[in-house]
Amino acid sequence: MTTTENRRSRRTEILEDRPVNLDGFVEEWPEKGLVAMESDFDPQPSVRVEGGRIVELDGRARADFDFMDTFIADHAIDVETAEEVNAIPSVEIARALVDPRASRDELTRIGRGLTPAKILDVVKLMNVVEIMMAMQKMRARRTPANQAHSTSAKDNPIQVAADAAEGALRGFAELETTLGVVRYAPLVAIALQVGGQVGRGGVLTQCALEEATELELGMRGITAYAETISVYGTESVFVDGDDTPWSKAFLASAYASRGIKMRFTSGTGSEVQMGNAEGRSMLYLEIRCILMAKGAGVQGLQNGSISCIGVPGAVPGGIRAVAAENLVASWMDLECASGNDQSFSHSAMRRTARLLPQMLPGTDFVCSGYSAVPNADNMFAGSNLDTEDFDDWNTIQRDLQVDGGLRHVREPEILQVREKAARALQAVFAELDLPRITDEEVEAAVYANGSGDYPERDVLEDLKGAQSVMDRGVTGLDLVKALERSGFHDVAENLLTVLRQRVSGDLLQTSAILTDDFVPLSAINDANDYGGPGSGYRLQGERWEQLKKLRHVTSAEDPETEVS
Amino acid sequence: MSAPTAASTSERTLTLKEVGPAKRASRPDEVVVAVSPAFSDPFTKTIVDVPHAEVIRQILAGIEEQGVHARVIKVWDTADLAAVAHTGARLSGSGISIGLLSRGTAMIHQRDLPRLSNLELFPQSPLLDAEVFRRIGSNAAQYAKGESPAPVPTRNDQMARPRWQAKAALLHLKEFECIVAGRKPVEVEPVISRA
Amino acid sequence: MRVSAPASGSGPDLGAADYPLSVNRQDLLRTPTGKPITALTMNAVVAGEITAEDLRIAPETLQLQATLAESVHRRQLAANFRRAAELTAVPDAEVLAMYNALRPRASSKEQLLGIAENLENKYQATVCGALVREAAEVYERRDLLARDEED
Repeated sequence: MTTTENRRSRRTEILEDRPVNLDGFVEEWPEKGLVAMESDFDPQPSVRVEGGRIVELDGRARADFDFMDTFIADHAIDVETAEEVNAIPSVEIARALVDPRASRDELTRIGRGLTPAKILDVVKLMNVVEIMMAMQKMRARRTPANQAHSTSAKDNPIQVAADAAEGALRGFAELETTLGVVRYAPLVAIALQVGGQVGRGGVLTQCALEEATELELGMRGITAYAETISVYGTESVFVDGDDTPWSKAFLASAYASRGIKMRFTSGTGSEVQMGNAEGRSMLYLEIRCILMAKGAGVQGLQNGSISCIGVPGAVPGGIRAVAAENLVASWMDLECASGNDQSFSHSAMRRTARLLPQMLPGTDFVCSGYSAVPNADNMFAGSNLDTEDFDDWNTIQRDLQVDGGLRHVREPEILQVREKAARALQAVFAELDLPRITDEEVEAAVYANGSGDYPERDVLEDLKGAQSVMDRGVTGLDLVKALERSGFHDVAENLLTVLRQRVSGDLLQTSAILTDDFVPLSAINDANDYGGPGSGYRLQGERWEQLKKLRHVTSAEDPETEVS
Repeated sequence: MSAPTAASTSERTLTLKEVGPAKRASRPDEVVVAVSPAFSDPFTKTIVDVPHAEVIRQILAGIEEQGVHARVIKVWDTADLAAVAHTGARLSGSGISIGLLSRGTAMIHQRDLPRLSNLELFPQSPLLDAEVFRRIGSNAAQYAKGESPAPVPTRNDQMARPRWQAKAALLHLKEFECIVAGRKPVEVEPVISRA
Repeated sequence: MRVSAPASGSGPDLGAADYPLSVNRQDLLRTPTGKPITALTMNAVVAGEITAEDLRIAPETLQLQATLAESVHRRQLAANFRRAAELTAVPDAEVLAMYNALRPRASSKEQLLGIAENLENKYQATVCGALVREAAEVYERRDLLARDEED
């Protein structure tokens, strides 16, 4: 056998050119925490209770606790059951997680007493299919849902309003925006709220900003919820983020005190990315984040690596670990907005494989940001899915008969809500004496794809307007009045109903969203009751008829025509 | 975008010859280039394989074409970009520095700014090529002269995360291993030779 | 819906079947200004009878939601609602200032204890006060109190 140096086979060349080879992969380095979930450097589970408090946690005595250990021991773990449940063999707990006869209630009862290392010990026993089986049962809300990103590369409020309306119509239960130029935030948050309520009354909106501004927009009723409240798995990285478990717990109460739904954000890979994983695996540290969130009493968590997805994505078993972290959040009885929200791979095949562990079993929000704008306009630095994937997503739902929260909508309906959203925003801006939105801009919004399809805005004038919204103290109620005065009665009524929700506090409960009829749907009145085949959420009836629709389906009655 | 002749650059190697402890200079027409512990040794190139020799050559050329003097120091006790850059700024006669990590991440800093602030930040190391490094040098020199240059345009690539995020984390960890706690910054003479 | 509701410590004996309160128990819901939730109509908005203050949550409502959360075994969520009930009395700016004071190395131990006392004495926010006291203790042990020389 002879081979010629420097000559490659045609097949190798073809493989080299495949998009997947543009992705980055690295070897594990467990000593530094560059490892997904199987590391000899993670602690062994242990717990000891004395005098009603935990004095030893995962091999560490109370005197040596860092602040994560302290917070988790004192707030997250049920002291009364800790020793009992931690003594259950991990394999029994893992099997119960996949056994449909073991109820969700029983597993959350066990989960409430477990230590981080014990939880890791359990999920390490599970392969990805078992993780999905368990997720199907442990998800807090019975009905799965989805969340969209609605942003603009030019922070154009008209674009955000139109895309929010389309996103809401397509089925997203929550809409999230953020900014290129932060000072644009008030106008874009208003656009998101108005557009969202045009598309589908009851959709919930948020604007991701630094903590204080985000809270202020929420307090004014311009946004409905918040989720970019980051927590980390080591003390040093937490401190680098300028917070502690106590400051974040206080913030959680601050949001609830204003009737605003809120969830934390965390994810595998953030600590090692910041160079301070303290030699622990990514999943071990993420489990500490999940327990910290639980201890703070926040209703939910956005996790699934999120902005660090390139790190677990590059190591062996990383996407299994990401599926496991979503499962643990659900198991700990938190709402889980399960990632799939950041650019992940050059390979379409790999992008799809990455989302199946959330999409197939269903989660509270399959994506914590499906880009409902072209990725070029995505100011969260791109999502795993964007507008170009809408038809693929709908087809996968139909093929596998799973509910990923979206549906095919016929173009005339889409154009109608886009126009109405732009018109409503035009009216609100006029009523509030904000920079004018022209008819030309409204027309552009109806047919546009991305920010390049809109006339340029006068950015300086817009920023002045944005400042005046803050200075004048414009509130959600002012938006209701402006919509009502300008004849958008139904939109005004939708928004008022959303605002009224904060008086009731119903949306503060775990996994709460609003239905089309403005009925809060949470893990209380829509508790996941999966108990094996034939039980739990089933895609059937009217909803299944909706999801059978695609852009092109040949009519059975008249095969020379299509139905859509 | 075009890097000057890739063929010739690949032959250059960089050695940082230690001159002595880095001191604060008084000449107001200098920019300090502060590099991180693993720069040039053991690492020799950025995350996207731009040789460190080329990085330094372009930055120095950018500074010198503005008629400003350049001085290179190596910071040993931290691999935090803001800290590296701020250390350089405090030693710089003009108060202006360029901080550089081995993977290519760069920052222009000024002595009077808080450590966590900066004049210009270039966080996306995979997008920094020879031309950008030259412009960073040029801008730093213009700040040193008291001018207000237009910031070097930053690029963005949404697919940088899947391709580079993990490698960047790995390089970051390796760089951390090269930290010598307590060791003071050292002035170095960059020697670029053709291998 | 099938979860049974244990008796709660105070207030009405609420259980999962009462949720959502905005649908099933409107009789229990009032604005902080004392209006029933059913008064929040578009007609009232147009007539100028509704202010932003009416669209806030009342502390009593947060206590109700806490009771509900406890009935479905969400102890920490309930505790958060009870802290939140206390914070409804604290003005927005003060809430934000307290949050900032709780950031690492932002406050001395005395400052944190001062905040706790203020919460307890001025706002009767004893659960929140206890959280801040706990933070002060942990921050001292973990070297997270304000340092004298900050650059």
